[in-house]
Amino acid sequence: MKTMFVQEAIRHGAAAAERQPGKFDPGETIIHHVANSPASDPLIHLPTIAGIDFSVTKHVLMLWVVAAIVFIVVSWTVRRYLKQERLVPKGFMNALEFVVEFVRDEITEPNVGRKWVNTWTPLILTFFIFILVANGIGLIPIFDLIGLTDYYVLRTGEHSFLKQVLHGGTTATANFNVTAALATITFGAIIVAGSMAHGFVKHWKNMVPHGLNPFIYVILIPIEILGMFVRPFALTMRLAANMTGGHIAILAILSFVFLFAEMFGRATAGIGVGLVVSVPLAVLISMLEILVVLIQAYVFTLLTAVFIGMAIHVHH
Amino acid sequence: MAKNEDPFFARSAKALQNNAEQAGPAAGASYTLIGAIMLLGAIGYGIDRWRGTSPWFLLGGLLLGIVVGMYELARTVWKR
Repeated sequence: MKTMFVQEAIRHGAAAAERQPGKFDPGETIIHHVANSPASDPLIHLPTIAGIDFSVTKHVLMLWVVAAIVFIVVSWTVRRYLKQERLVPKGFMNALEFVVEFVRDEITEPNVGRKWVNTWTPLILTFFIFILVANGIGLIPIFDLIGLTDYYVLRTGEHSFLKQVLHGGTTATANFNVTAALATITFGAIIVAGSMAHGFVKHWKNMVPHGLNPFIYVILIPIEILGMFVRPFALTMRLAANMTGGHIAILAILSFVFLFAEMFGRATAGIGVGLVVSVPLAVLISMLEILVVLIQAYVFTLLTAVFIGMAIHVHH
Repeated sequence: MAKNEDPFFARSAKALQNNAEQAGPAAGASYTLIGAIMLLGAIGYGIDRWRGTSPWFLLGGLLLGIVVGMYELARTVWKR
């Protein structure tokens, strides 16, 4: 995250030294580093099938990267572990086993119950690891390093694939569409869980309390239906907003450097503000971000487990 | 896992874990409360933009959001 600003600073400093500086626009820079790359100019062009454009933008690419990393690392670790003579987990397998046990015993079982724990742990574990890795990759400045290498070493052309990849944010879970898709899976899982535990018709009947005045049902049923949609929506908004918000905070604080440099018309002012205010604050917020990455993955999975548990254990 | 750790640290981690576990449903309810207000408010705003009936659907959506959110909250609170 810092390297790309170094890059901006170099470009900006060069511009400032030559003539009057071209105005630094913090809003545009921040959006450039947080939002998805434009759909009109995708990284990989794919045909439109049934009205859906399958072209690959930055966030889709990041989804693939995350999926590949999770798939390769987890299956490689587990296969190597199974080949051992004595089944004693060590190294990374130990950590993986700790995560699996944590999700099973601390997130899934208290909410879903012992009977269904083996049914729902795989889904919730997948959510947890996927969100954790996707969030975590957003904190690693891979593309900023690529950009820096490109700027100094490779010097590829204006429309090269490398230059295109640099547009847009790295965190796939900061995109509302991604989290909405995840929450849709939760939405489906809630219905499936209720149907598996009570049967399809009983699940829908369970949603409202029994034996009340018929007049109350007229109010209650619409409210319940709305509530059914609101829960996944809350999941969607929280994850995406948290991931976007943290990045915007870091970028906004770092952009002080350029704003002050511009305001006083010299680079020393910017560097001074950067050393005293921006960099320490950004480091602190980055630490907070590491925490947020963990907590958001945890909260998403916990709430999924809670909602599935609510469909299984109906109290009225 | 917690064998060679400081018992104080292990205990506080355990307490934190218990708290987080018990807070799960409450966190769900609180997020639903906010989510309901935001979702239905946004839908109301959208209808207002579409039909030019500002601000009635926005207000209605916000009120309905509060009702739905509070209902979910009440369900969580009075369940156990």
